[in-house]
Formats: sequence, C-alpha cells, structure tokens
Amino acid sequence: MTRLIDLRLGLFLAALFAVTVLAPLATTLPSTSALNLPSYLIPLMGKYLCYALLAVALDLCWGYAGILSLGHGAFFALGGYAMGMHLMREIGARGVYANPELPDFMVFLGWTELPWFWYGFDMFWFAAVMALAVPGLLAFVFGWFAFRSRVSGVYLSIITQALTFALLLAFFRNDMGFGGNNGLTDFRDVLGFSLSAPSTRIALFVLTAVALAGCMLLARAITISKAGKVLVAVRDAESRTRFLGYRVESYSVFVFTVSAMMAGLAGALYVPQVGIINPGEFAPANSIEIVVWVALGGRGTLVGAAIGALVVVALKSWLTATFPDLWLFALGGLFILVTLALPNGLLGLVDRLKPRKAKPATEVPA
Amino acid sequence: MPFRPLTLIAALCLAVVLPFLASAQTLDALIARLPDGNFNDRAAIVAQIAETGDPRAAQVLDALLEGELEQRTADGRFVRVTGSRNNQTAVDVLTGEDLGPVARRSTEAVRVNNALRRSIRTALGVLTLMDPDPARRLAAAEAALRSPSADQVDALAEAMAAETNANIRTAQTRAHAAAVLASDLPVEQKLDAVAVIGAANAQIVQQTLNAYRNAAEPELAAAVGEALAAAEARQRLWSQAQNLWFGLSLGSVLLLAAIGLAITFGVMGVINLAHGELVMLGAYTTYTVQQIIRTNAPEYFGYSLAIAIPLAFLLVGAVGVLIERGIVRHLYGRPLETLLGTWGVSLILQQAVRSIYGPTNREVGTPDWMSGAWQIGEMTLTGPRIAIVIFSLVVFFGLLLLMKYSAFGLQMRAVTQNRPMAANLGIRTGYVDALTFGLGAGIAGLAGVALSQIDNVSPNLGQGYIIDSFLVVVFGGVGNLWGTFAAALSLGVANKFLEPWAGAVLGKIVILVFIILFIQKRPRGLFPQRGRAAEG
Amino acid sequence: MKKLLLSTALGAVFATGALAQEGEPIRVGILHSLSGTMAISETTLRDVMLMLIEQQNAEGGVLGRPLEPVVVDPASDWPRFAELARELISGQGVSVVFGCWTSVSRKSVLPVFEELNSILFYPVQYEGQESQRNVFYTGAAPNQQAIPAVDYLLENGVERFYLAGTDYVYPRTTNQILEAYLLAQGVAAEDIIVNYTPFGHSDWQTIVSEIRDFGSTGRPAAVVSTINGDANVPFYNELAAQGISAEDIPVIAFSVGEEELAGIDTAPLVGHLAAWNYFMSVDTPENEEFIDAWHAYIGSETRVTNDPMEAHYIGFNMWVDAVEAAGTTDADAVIDALVGVAVPNLTGGLSSMGANHHITKPVLIGEIQADGQFEVVWETAGLVLGDEWSDYVTETAPLISDWRAPLSCGNFNTATGTCGGSE
Repeated sequence: MTRLIDLRLGLFLAALFAVTVLAPLATTLPSTSALNLPSYLIPLMGKYLCYALLAVALDLCWGYAGILSLGHGAFFALGGYAMGMHLMREIGARGVYANPELPDFMVFLGWTELPWFWYGFDMFWFAAVMALAVPGLLAFVFGWFAFRSRVSGVYLSIITQALTFALLLAFFRNDMGFGGNNGLTDFRDVLGFSLSAPSTRIALFVLTAVALAGCMLLARAITISKAGKVLVAVRDAESRTRFLGYRVESYSVFVFTVSAMMAGLAGALYVPQVGIINPGEFAPANSIEIVVWVALGGRGTLVGAAIGALVVVALKSWLTATFPDLWLFALGGLFILVTLALPNGLLGLVDRLKPRKAKPATEVPA
Repeated sequence: MPFRPLTLIAALCLAVVLPFLASAQTLDALIARLPDGNFNDRAAIVAQIAETGDPRAAQVLDALLEGELEQRTADGRFVRVTGSRNNQTAVDVLTGEDLGPVARRSTEAVRVNNALRRSIRTALGVLTLMDPDPARRLAAAEAALRSPSADQVDALAEAMAAETNANIRTAQTRAHAAAVLASDLPVEQKLDAVAVIGAANAQIVQQTLNAYRNAAEPELAAAVGEALAAAEARQRLWSQAQNLWFGLSLGSVLLLAAIGLAITFGVMGVINLAHGELVMLGAYTTYTVQQIIRTNAPEYFGYSLAIAIPLAFLLVGAVGVLIERGIVRHLYGRPLETLLGTWGVSLILQQAVRSIYGPTNREVGTPDWMSGAWQIGEMTLTGPRIAIVIFSLVVFFGLLLLMKYSAFGLQMRAVTQNRPMAANLGIRTGYVDALTFGLGAGIAGLAGVALSQIDNVSPNLGQGYIIDSFLVVVFGGVGNLWGTFAAALSLGVANKFLEPWAGAVLGKIVILVFIILFIQKRPRGLFPQRGRAAEG
Repeated sequence: MKKLLLSTALGAVFATGALAQEGEPIRVGILHSLSGTMAISETTLRDVMLMLIEQQNAEGGVLGRPLEPVVVDPASDWPRFAELARELISGQGVSVVFGCWTSVSRKSVLPVFEELNSILFYPVQYEGQESQRNVFYTGAAPNQQAIPAVDYLLENGVERFYLAGTDYVYPRTTNQILEAYLLAQGVAAEDIIVNYTPFGHSDWQTIVSEIRDFGSTGRPAAVVSTINGDANVPFYNELAAQGISAEDIPVIAFSVGEEELAGIDTAPLVGHLAAWNYFMSVDTPENEEFIDAWHAYIGSETRVTNDPMEAHYIGFNMWVDAVEAAGTTDADAVIDALVGVAVPNLTGGLSSMGANHHITKPVLIGEIQADGQFEVVWETAGLVLGDEWSDYVTETAPLISDWRAPLSCGNFNTATGTCGGSE
C-alpha cells in the first residue's frame, strides 16, 4: 500500500517546515549576527514558494495525467488578477485621484463607472473564491471540450498556448478594464494589514508555505488514489484505458481543473507579495518556463517539480544580479545539460546516487 | 540663431532697395535672404528664385531640397555641403568652385521643412517641366498635380504638347486638369477637367476634387460630386481585393516562418523552441552579407539578397545539424524533452547574437530592384511584399518536390515513418535525421532573409514568430506540408479581413479562439495524418 | 535541508556589503533590462551610465569617494524590476538608482523606492500624471513633447489628425490629452482618428493603407505616432513601401529617435518628424564632447546618441551636484538638495530640477534626414518645465506637485486646498 507521505515528500515537508519557522526568526536576529536574514528576503522567498506551488500544479496534470499544458501561466495570472482586483479596491480613496470607487487607472483613462465584472471584489472572501473559481471554471470548460473531442498530445499543448496568448492580448487591451499593460499595482494593504509591514510579509510567507504543503499533500493524495492510478493509465495508454471502460475525459477534466485551481491559488498568493500583476504573466514564454521547472526537477514526482522551480528561480535571481551579461548562457546551458545528462531531472540524479530499485512513478515514458 | 552681420547688412540694404527691384532681383540677392525669416518667408523667396530665370536657380533649389545648402559663417558664401559627419566637403553653389573639406560648425545649414520642401518641388517643377530627363519631367508633373495653381495652365499645356512619353503625358494631363480647376477658366473646360481627374485613381480624385465639392457653379459641383461618389464606390469594391492581397502577403510571411518548423516539428516531432532563433540567425546573416558588401563593394548591393539566400540556408542549416547532433539526437522517443533542450538553445542563441551584434536593431536595406510600388486599379502592391509572396511559394514548392521526388526525400519520409524498418533497409538513420533537421533549420534561415526586409533585425526577432509558427503547423495538421500551406494562407487572409472592422488586437484574439474551437472539432488539424503514424 | 541551505546561501549573497561607510566607494545602481524585449533600448542606457561614472571617477569621484556601478538585469520582466530594486537598495546598499524604461517597470518599482526611501532617476519620456517623492523624472512629460508637436503641425496648416499608438498607458494618456487639446484648438471631432495596435505589431499593411486614404481628402493631414519601439521598424518600412512621403502625410513620432532609426533605411522617410528634447545633430560644444566621449567609450564611430541618454547625462550630473551640496549620500538630504539644482544640458541650455521633480528642457522638432539623423526645424524659445498633472485632463487640472517643505505633496489640489487627489 502506498503511504500518503513517503520518505521524499516527508523530507521536503520537514525542510519546508523548518524554513518557515526559522526564516522569520532569523530576521529578528541583530544584523551583526551571521545568521541574520534581511527581512526583504521574506517576500522573495514567498514568491519562490508560489512558483513551487505552480510547478506542483503543473506536475499534477503533466506528470501524472500526461496533459502537457503550455498555458498554465494563464491560470496563475487569472488567480493573481482576482486577488489584484481586491487589493486595488482596498486602496479605496487613498489613490492618487482619491476616487473611493474607481481604481486610479480607470480615472486616468476617463472612466466614470466601475465595470460590472469588478463588482464584489471589494469583499475579500469573494476575491478569494474567484481566485480559485475563475481558473477552475476556465480549465473545466476548456478541458471538457478538449478532452471530450480527444484533443491530445502536441495539439493540446499548442491550443493551451493559444489560450494563454489570446488572454495575453486581451488583458493588454486597455479597453478590457484590467489596467492594460501596466496591470494592477500600488497595493496598500490586505484585510487592513499593511503590505509593507514585516509582520504581514511573514504572515503571507507562512501562508504560502502552508498552501504549498497542503497542495502537495492533496496532489499526492490524488495520485495515490484509485483515480490517480487511472490517470497514470491514461497517460501511458489512453486508448487501452478507454477500452477498459474508464471515462477518460472525466478523469482528465477533474485533474486539469484541480491543477488550474492550484495555479490560481499560487497566483493569488503571489500578487500581494510581489506587489504587481500585469499581462506579462500570460506570456507563453512564462508558461513554457513552468514546464522547464518541472522537467528540470523531475517530472511526475511533485517534490521534484517544487525543487526544480526553486532551483531555477533562485538561480535566476542570483545570476541576473551577479552576471547580468552572461546569465542566459548559464541558464540555457543548464537546461541543455539537464536534458542530456539527467533524463529524470534533478530528482532522478538523487535516485541514481542512491543504489536502490527505481520507483515506477519516476519512469515516465514520453 | 547666431548673429551674422553680413547677412543682416545685406538684408537691410535689400529692404531699402527692395521696392525698386521687386520685379528683377538677382539670384545672388535672393539667396542671401534665404537664411532669415521663417519657413513661409523662405517659401516666398523660393518662388522668386524660380522666377529669376537664372540658369543656376535649379541647382540652388536642388541643394536646398536635399538639405545640403549651407552658409559659411566666415564669409557668408553659400555652399553645398556633402559627406559624412567627420568628412565634409563643400562646393560654392553659385560659382561651382570646389572649396574642399570644411570643418564642422564652420557652416550653418539653411533649414528646410516639409512645407518648404513641397514649395521647392513645385518651384523646381516649373523649371523642369520640359527637362530632358524623363524622371524629372514626371516628378515635375506630379508636383504640379499635388499643388495645382492657375499660373501653370499654359506651361502644362505646352509641356503636354511636346511630350512623347505616354506615362508622363497622362500625369501632365491630370496636372493640367487640376490647374484648370484652380483657374477662373469657363465652366465647360472645368467639367472636362473633372472628367479627366475622375478617370484617375480614387486617391487622386479625392485629393484634387474634394475642394470643389461645393463649387459655385451647380453643374460643376454636381459633376464633382458624381466623380467623388464613383471613386468611392470603386475604392470600396477594390478594398476587398486589397484585403485579399494583404492577407496573402501576411499568409506568406506566416508560411515562411512556419515551413521550417513543419519539418523539425511536423515531420520529426521535435518541439523545436529554438526555431524562432534560427529565423533570427537567417536575418543576421543577411545583415552581415550586406555589411560586407557595403564596406567592400557597394556597387554589388543589388545582389546582396541573392548572396544571402544560399548562405543563410547553409549557415543556419549547419547550426541545425549541430543542434541535432549535439542535443536532439539523444532525445528521440522523448519528444517533450526536446522542448527543454531547445529552449536552452534558444536562450543561448539569443544572448550570443546580443553579445556579438549588440542589442539594438540592425539595418537591412532593400535593393533598389525590390522597392517601389505598383498600382493595380485602386490597389497598391509593394515590391518587398510581392517578392516575399513569390519567395515563399518557391520555397514551399521546392521543398515539396524535394520531399516527393528526391532520394533524400524518400529516405527522410521512411525514417520518420518507421525508424527501425528504415534502418533495417540500410538507411543511415542518424545521417538522415541530421540532414532533415538541418533542412528545417536552413529553411528557417531562408525565412530570416525574407523577414529582414519587413521587420526588425534584432535579437528578439524570433520571439515574435514562434507562437504563430506552432499554431500554423498545428492548425494545418502536424506532419502535412500542404496543411501548413493552407493554414498559413487562410489564417493570413482571415486576419486581414477581420482587421478593418475588429481592429488588429481583437482580430487576432478572434483568430486564436477560432483555432482553439476548430481543434475541438478536428483534433488533428485541417489535414490530419492517417494511419499508425498519427497515433505517435 | 536543501531548502534551508539554499535560503541561507541566498541571504549570504544578498547581504554582502550592506552598508557603505566613509572612504568606501559610493554605489550607484543601474536597473536597465539587458535581455528580453526591452534590451534593445535599455542596454545603451546601461552603457552610458557606466561611461558617466567612469568619467566622474576620473575627476575624483563624489565627496572624495569613488563611484562604483552595480549593474543588474531585470530582463524586461516587470516584477523582477521590483525584486532587483529591493536587492540594489537593501542588498547592495546603493545610494541612487538610474533605471527603468517602460511605465510599467517604473510603476512596479515605485512602492519599493517609497518604502526603502531611496532615489530613482527615470530617463524616458512618459505620460505624466504622477509625481513621487523618491523619483526624479528627467524624460519629457506630455507638455514637453506632445503639445508643442501638434502646435507645430497646426502652425503648418494640418487639419486632420491620425493618432496612432501602441495600446498602453503612455499613448493612451498622450492621445487623451492631445484629443482634448485639438478639440480646444477648433479641430473637428471627425477629423481626429485614434487607433491602437498591440505591442510588437509587425503587419502594418492595413493600417498604413488606412492612413493613406485618411490623408487623401485634399485637406492636409498628419499622423501623430506614439507607436512603441519595436513596432516602428515595420511601420516605417511599410510607410516607405506604400510611398507615403512626408510632404503628403507627415508622421510625427514621440518614441522614435536616432537609435530606432539605426535599424531602418531612412532615405524614403526624409521629412517625417519627431519631437524630443535632444537630437544627436544638435550643434553645441557640449554635445560634440559628449558624442566623442561616447564613441571612444563604446569603441564605435557609428553608434548614435539619443534623448534618454541625454536625460541620464542631466540626471547624473544633477545627482552629483546635489550630493556635493548636501555633503552626504543620505536620501532625504539629497532629495531636498536636488530641487533647484541646475546643470548644463547638451543643447546649449541649463536644465534645472523643479519642485515637482521634473526638469526644464527645450522642445525640439526634427525632421528625419537620409543619414538617419534629425534636422531641427523648430524649437521652443526657452526651456519648458515638465507638467506632471496635465491641464487638459479634467481630474488632474487642479492638481500640482511641490516636494519642498512645507507643502511636500505630490498631488496637492488647488481647488480644495488639500493634499491627496482630486476629490
């Protein structure tokens, strides 16, 4: 029987727990201490965890159900926009134009009335529900059509890319009412807590860590359940599973929707910590990058996906600040190296170093 | 402006003598007044210069038109300055004396702007209406049409009578008609003029006749109204043809961008994210070729594209072979991992180009034989676009023939359809794989040559085309060249018919949504592959 | 444990050199994209900053301390701008940052500069409607570029206006201001067309043919272009291909400078216009010296200079003067000292920093020449101060900004006498 928490997941969760407890403590140490963690790194680490959550979401549908989505950034961005809209309304009359109803950019463009789709976002619970519901609904409708028509493989990948590209163009339009290219920014506080206060930052960071742990457990629970076994069967031999009498599309739609909602959650947690959401998040290149994280960490392992995301984004932060002219060579080289030398990603390397029989779940046929 | 005592004195003197000399000023006196006053003052002087009848007037105006007329600060002499920033030479514009190199900031340019340039062209037109050079005669007639004036009726009639070239004659006839309309000649003559103008293309009709819509004579106003309405109707009808042409030309750009991918992705199944960068390399090859020609043998610039085409194909093809041998080779059977590897390649190629050529746009010129525009009815066909449409068709059919009728094409199809079987039959699959990928890459390089003519040549060039390329291949049906062809052209045309009423952004969104829905209906594209290969 | 190691390693890297002390170099942050879509414009600004810092160091630095540039690459990724701004200020301990190009990148870093109380010099023409205590705007506001440009067109008898822009906030606001202004000048509403295209739009056939039709009614027409960087090359190529000459329908652009023209064959474009506060062709000793220094630094005689580079030149010199005056690099002292500082610009005048954190500049209108340079055809008599809150937008007409004590407010409402917006 498969346990919910195996050794790998256990180790990861323990490490996550340790960081979540120690990092905020480390910020309170005097700055002379060697262990002091500057408090500005907390939101940065929170941002990394959001990306890890996003990678886990993608791994759930790609690694276990074979749905290679090149548009997961769209669900992430939609979740982010839902939260951003709430934070925008929270600013209220403290904006540059001091309009209690309209966000600054609407006043700026000469709008006089709040568009209907902005109603309700002044309430936090509504925004929170929407951050999950909008990506979930989009994924459900999209998946329902696509999987029922048996769109699969690269065709599915490319139309998910078309989806995020279409959303990118739509959100760029200033007429859409989402702030155009600038997106939503200049947030002040959330639920009355100032976003620049260290305590709020720590709370958001801890919340993100909890969300990541929760989603990993949920994803793990799904994959080891009977439905999870069916999904793996769909991934490896779709027609055969169908002939065995399973309604393949129901399983696919289910996992795709759950995955999209996780991505939405990641987006919603990302926005208050980063302070801006704009259409750039819909860019197809961003979605491809998510796939790269998962592939780099090790597809179909959940933990690998999270580690892949953390490694790549942390590396990017470090390289762009330290080697601004060379970092693309380093990153590109790393991707090539991993593809050639580590077919199962970083986690596969760990497995290879430990001489024991390979786990079936990591053996992923293309 | 710096204080120039000489000119000031000259101007003062002129102001005194002006009333007496109004009708017969010398060119030398007029040119001295050019630097002063605003552009309108200068326009008036230009007209007077043209009227002097001085044989040197044309060359003075020509220098002014080109923005090369400058005044020496030291002695107030007017010179024509040519050459680059650090290497300027001057010629006295009135005496023709060669003054040799000049130091920067030792001369002050006589500024011209658009309005003034237009006046100069009109003035020059009067002088060159009967010029021996046909190109100048045509330019003169066109300038006269653009700014019709009643004074020119007789001169134009005279020029028409002497003209032997039919094209120039047509232009002169129209200019004459426009001049007649501007004059106070009897209304019958004006009605004839309206008929002449009415036969020209809609743009000329609107440009010339709109001013007479409410003419005092009712019959003239009516005729003008009719001619305008007819022109508008003609334009509406032709606009459909124009849209179709725009669509085909956009489609051929898409086709060129996608066709290399149709091989690497469509035929070989490699999710080649470096495809856009391969296109970019083709564009930079063109730039490099042009740069070498510019510095070493500028007279051969017209051949630059002819040299760049094979070179881009071979160079980028070689890069493709390297990518295949170095990376893709190890990944057959794991197509999704090619995505990761080629993504890495694309990052490296982008940054490599940025490091070598710098991040800014590079200028790729259009050879003279390719520029220019042709008017068919109310439709304009431009040189570079025609060239790209033809080029894309040649590349596409060339590739098709290669695939169908050459031994290599046969091996290529055999390997991609059934690798073990092909290997058993003695085909060196590795060799064929490398060449196939190289072929796809080489064609991407060709696309780069073409795109360098219409788009930015920058490290970002490829990014703009990669998504469209994948969409085209998938929409057409992976693995089917005809599908790519049909998809590219139909998406191009649909886009251009949507754009006028939906706008560029919404039009594109509509197309994307359409593709998403279409794939639901036909999950394997326009022309699905059948049989076992399709299960891939 | 991997996680923990990673984050402590990160912390260690970021925390190095947190505080600059006496005698140590003064660190200057440069926050310009070196990769991604904006690298095309921003890399040059990084280079010019490095050159200016090198020159200043050769003259003995500032306050007797050498300057040390800290370059990072935000990679045209807007959230990364905020992340790296934080890293520059908190991690690298820079005293001032020169950076950003797009409005969204500036918006993204604004809260960071406000929170950490540092200084940003922003060198690009922008839409205005903003004034922030920690930001100094050395590029043009709409009144320093757009309004004089249409004035020039009106003066030249243009009656119809086609406002073509990329769909983002700068063109939107500029066009909104221009529309209100043109209507006020008596241009009929049906003679103004506004059109927006997406970023990187590359197929201009339809729009250019629309412009041709728009311009052939016999009445003088012009295009006012706020088309953004990348899309300009295909736009101008298409204009040239369809044979639209500047004498028929002039195009006046606010985002096309020498750098953008470097990628185009300008021979068919002679006479099209641009409005800026600086042109490379401006003939002054300061400019000549600057160009020669630039060519020597970059190692190429063919590289051009442009308006945002001049803005950094002015901004950098202002910062140096202010630090020398304040005697410290402390942000509050420098921010106070900056207002009123005047330094020579490259066009022969003396630009000064206003109380609204915008600077005075001349407005120049240039026509494109065959060699890719601009020829100035018109300029304002004196220098113009950037107007942060446009007088042509109802909501912002009563707002002013004055960061000097005792007002110290970025959006003071003169109608209600309160600080804090239009209500």
